[in-house]
Amino acid sequence: MSQSLAPECNEVKEKYDTCFLKWYSENNNECSELFKEYSSCLQRALKERGIDKLIDEAREDMKDKDTTYMTRKKSGYITARWDLVTRLYELAIFAWNYGVVTRAAKGFAALSLVFLLIFIPVERLATREAELHDGLMRVFWPADLPRSELKGVVVGWRNSALDVFVLAILEEVEPRNVETALKLGTLLRNAPHPVSRIYELCGQSSMHVLGVSNTTDSAAFDPSWIRVTIGPRRRVPAITCPLASSIQIILFDRPLPQRMQYVSLNPITLSLEDKHDSFKMAVPDDEDESEREERIKKEKKQRLVEKLKQHSIFKRVPSEKEKALARIVNQINWAWELEQLLQKNVSRIGPRPKRSLSVSERVVESAQNARDMMVVWLWTMFITYVWPIIKKISVWILMALRVVAELCLIVLEWRARPGYAALKDISATAQQVEIRLQQFCYWPMQYITLRLRKQDWDSVTTCHPDYIRFYNSLWLVANDIIIGIALGSYIMDNANWVANRISQLLTQYTVEALQSSCIVALRPALPHIIWFIGVASFVGASLPIALFSDLLSLLTIHIYSFYLASARIYHWQLTILISLFHLFRGKKHNVLRNRIDSCDYDLDQLLVGTILFTLLFFLLPTVVVFYLNFAIARMAIISLKAVFDTALSCLNHFPLFAIMLRVKDPGRLPGGIRFELRDTQEFRHGVDDASERLPSTSVIYLKSVPLSFKAMFHQYFQLGHRIRKHYLSPRVVFCLLTGRFVPPLNRKNLYKLQYSMLPARRAGIMELWNAITSLPSSNKNNARAPPIQVPVLANGRKLNHHGGGRVRAYG
Amino acid sequence: MLTTPPTLYIRRPSPTTAEFTVTTCPPLTLPLRLLLAALNLLRGIIALAAAALFYKRFLEDSPFIFPFSLPFGFGPRNVTRGAQQAAGGGTDGSGIGYLVQLVTTSLSQVASLLGKIAAPFPSWAVASVCLLVLHISLFTRLHTTESVLVLRGLGMQISSSPGAARSPYLGSSSGGGTVGFFGFRLFGPWPWRTEQRFIPTEQIRDVLINEAFRGFEVRYCLIVVVEGEEDVTVLFPGLLPRRKIVERVWRGIRECLWEGEEGRRMTGTGSLKER
Repeated sequence: MSQSLAPECNEVKEKYDTCFLKWYSENNNECSELFKEYSSCLQRALKERGIDKLIDEAREDMKDKDTTYMTRKKSGYITARWDLVTRLYELAIFAWNYGVVTRAAKGFAALSLVFLLIFIPVERLATREAELHDGLMRVFWPADLPRSELKGVVVGWRNSALDVFVLAILEEVEPRNVETALKLGTLLRNAPHPVSRIYELCGQSSMHVLGVSNTTDSAAFDPSWIRVTIGPRRRVPAITCPLASSIQIILFDRPLPQRMQYVSLNPITLSLEDKHDSFKMAVPDDEDESEREERIKKEKKQRLVEKLKQHSIFKRVPSEKEKALARIVNQINWAWELEQLLQKNVSRIGPRPKRSLSVSERVVESAQNARDMMVVWLWTMFITYVWPIIKKISVWILMALRVVAELCLIVLEWRARPGYAALKDISATAQQVEIRLQQFCYWPMQYITLRLRKQDWDSVTTCHPDYIRFYNSLWLVANDIIIGIALGSYIMDNANWVANRISQLLTQYTVEALQSSCIVALRPALPHIIWFIGVASFVGASLPIALFSDLLSLLTIHIYSFYLASARIYHWQLTILISLFHLFRGKKHNVLRNRIDSCDYDLDQLLVGTILFTLLFFLLPTVVVFYLNFAIARMAIISLKAVFDTALSCLNHFPLFAIMLRVKDPGRLPGGIRFELRDTQEFRHGVDDASERLPSTSVIYLKSVPLSFKAMFHQYFQLGHRIRKHYLSPRVVFCLLTGRFVPPLNRKNLYKLQYSMLPARRAGIMELWNAITSLPSSNKNNARAPPIQVPVLANGRKLNHHGGGRVRAYG
Repeated sequence: MLTTPPTLYIRRPSPTTAEFTVTTCPPLTLPLRLLLAALNLLRGIIALAAAALFYKRFLEDSPFIFPFSLPFGFGPRNVTRGAQQAAGGGTDGSGIGYLVQLVTTSLSQVASLLGKIAAPFPSWAVASVCLLVLHISLFTRLHTTESVLVLRGLGMQISSSPGAARSPYLGSSSGGGTVGFFGFRLFGPWPWRTEQRFIPTEQIRDVLINEAFRGFEVRYCLIVVVEGEEDVTVLFPGLLPRRKIVERVWRGIRECLWEGEEGRRMTGTGSLKER
């Protein structure tokens, strides 16, 4: 029970309360008196404290309100407002009493102090910093730009305020004219391909006038323009800009797009990337010991890297200039073609009169025209009447071959159940055939991609790795066939001799040594088999090698089974000997705790064990010799097959075309970029007038690094490393010594190399048909067709769209 | 005398571009140049002698390798003729031809002399010694030069001597196929080519000074943490210069790559607050 409001009424209240409870349960009326007593007591107490009046007032008020609400709404509204006003007033008084206002004032003062002391200086610092960054100007300048002393206008891309990329110097034109021409697109007339593509890939919406060259008057120039002094004797241009306090001149040699040279930040990839991922996904099902270790090590390293990330305290936001690098690489790739285009169109804005032809020249020209007319007429006849028929026939032949290839592939890849081995997993020949068929299926697709390349600007570098891959595989197949013909004719000429030799070898090493006669049945057929292999080698040298590999595993199948049996026997004997030796010593292997415990044996147990031990021990040398014989034979066969496999992977995958390109034209195999700091001393000496004050300038040469041979053979190194790790590990030696089965290398690892030139999923027949039929017929007819939607890739990487640029329609 | 402890040279044409080069090559004075030229000549002669001995011992009599013999002929058949020509060279040949004849005759004489000396030794020993001498004389370098080029807004380029340790855990992999030998480097894979690597600024997460154990000493090395790479990249991996140099280069790199006004102000004094 709660206390009463007045402590002196407690006693009375308590009585009443107990009575009330009683009444509540028994229902009689004796409590009323007690209640009166309690209420009079409370009244007294309230009167003493003067609260009763308040209560009465409140009651009156409530009544009043109730009635007013019932009757007059307006006065109710007034009362409510009055109530609100009083409440606010009370709140204000309360706030004043408790010092809220002073607190707020203090907070405001502190905040403004903070703002004055911290934010304003920080903001000032930031602006100064920004100004300073602006002070550095970066100029990309093609080193092989023609150097003349004529006045000119520098045209190029403006990547950010002080980051410019020079494309060309247009001579003897007015800057204002050039600007309007650039805006109207006059300078890009007669472009062979859509102009929007340029803007899309260079990441800018338009070209700009960047400055002037070889002018003396400094009037009427935009302050952001650069002034260039250049001449035939001066290798590096002298550049000044009113806005820049220091200048980086970055010279570069333009890659020639029609020779398929290009520059790339990342090394060109010779193998297809998506393939690797699919294999990586597939591996974890059947990974072995070493792979798991590798994976664990990698995960550990990943954790370390995560930890290292926490060491750097803040992450800098890269500035506009720093982010521009990928774009600039693209602009370098475009530089040559765009300069040609611009120079071709200069005559449209400059008043450069064209010299009219002389009479003799006209005669020559008309004669040439007549001859050309004839050739063109013949060519059109050919194109309109003969070419479609040839094309249709070849397409149908191709489709028929594709269907046959599909059927063969289905046979080769057929598995009885999902987990079982397919034919291509068992036999090297089947695998070789499968690789060739897959290549055959992939070639048309590759060819179509390369054809589409012709419909686009030369400077689009997306297709170049495809080009290298396509020709590499063609070259390899051609090579394979050439070697195969040589090998095949040799084998067929000497079929009898080769057969004799092989049968002799077989007899010597597998039959006589083993006293077995399973080979004898095969011997009469051997010359025919050899002849067959010889015929097969006209398809390519890789096929006879694969056939030999298969033949080897087929003819030595008995060795394999003997090896298995003897290894099993040897292993058993060894384990029995070890446990009997423990018995001999009075010990026992405790399986539960995996340790050696001492054990009390009975006399007869000991006796029998010892006798058995001696027996087995004396039998051991025989078994060891047997086992060693077969194990060595097995190892020899494995290494022989490894040699065959290596030869196969060399024939199927060797980067022949890439190596030849590397020797012929290293610019076509970019492996990254590098910079060279040039001495500015000589550059400063070249300045003629000392009055001209040059800002502090550094001259840097940007060069493309050709792909290293190491990177070309990277996959071979990887394969070699994996094989070495698998077969030359102590684990294998241990397995050999104890007679356990040496696990073969995972097939997927071993043959990953051979498949790395092929896509993970081959295109279906219908896809091929669609691709071929959709292929535009020729360049001329396609001039007005919409641009081909090749995915926008910069150096094999997706480049985000920058607005797309202005799209113009040109005839 | 021929080498110095690693010394730092800084080239800084503008405040935002700098090249830091650490080299063991002392400033090239005239006597030093002469000495180096003499040394290289000596190396060339030793290499030639080793090659001559190898040719004499193994290749001279085999018909397969050089069916049409070397142009100047080391064999005993040609010695006398060569000597005669050398003696009367003034009459029939130009000065260069005479010189060539002289060199070849003297080489063939040296070769036959060496052949006589090496005669009692077994073939494999002669072959291995020959190849070793050839390798040392051709592939050793006196000086190592490594550099870092820092370009604001572009990135950082590292040139390192080949075959140097790549990982910051120098203790395990500092061997890496290189064996110190009288202060020279032995068995570097491509001694005439330095490996160069460019890292764009976007990918540079941080530049740090790291401690690493190497044998029983602690070395301070500059490392670059590259975005999205497992291993950090060590600057000057072959030389691993002293701490003073490392600190100076570190400050220089930070100034040049990121810090603006501050960096320029401090360039003259070359001191920056320690962090």
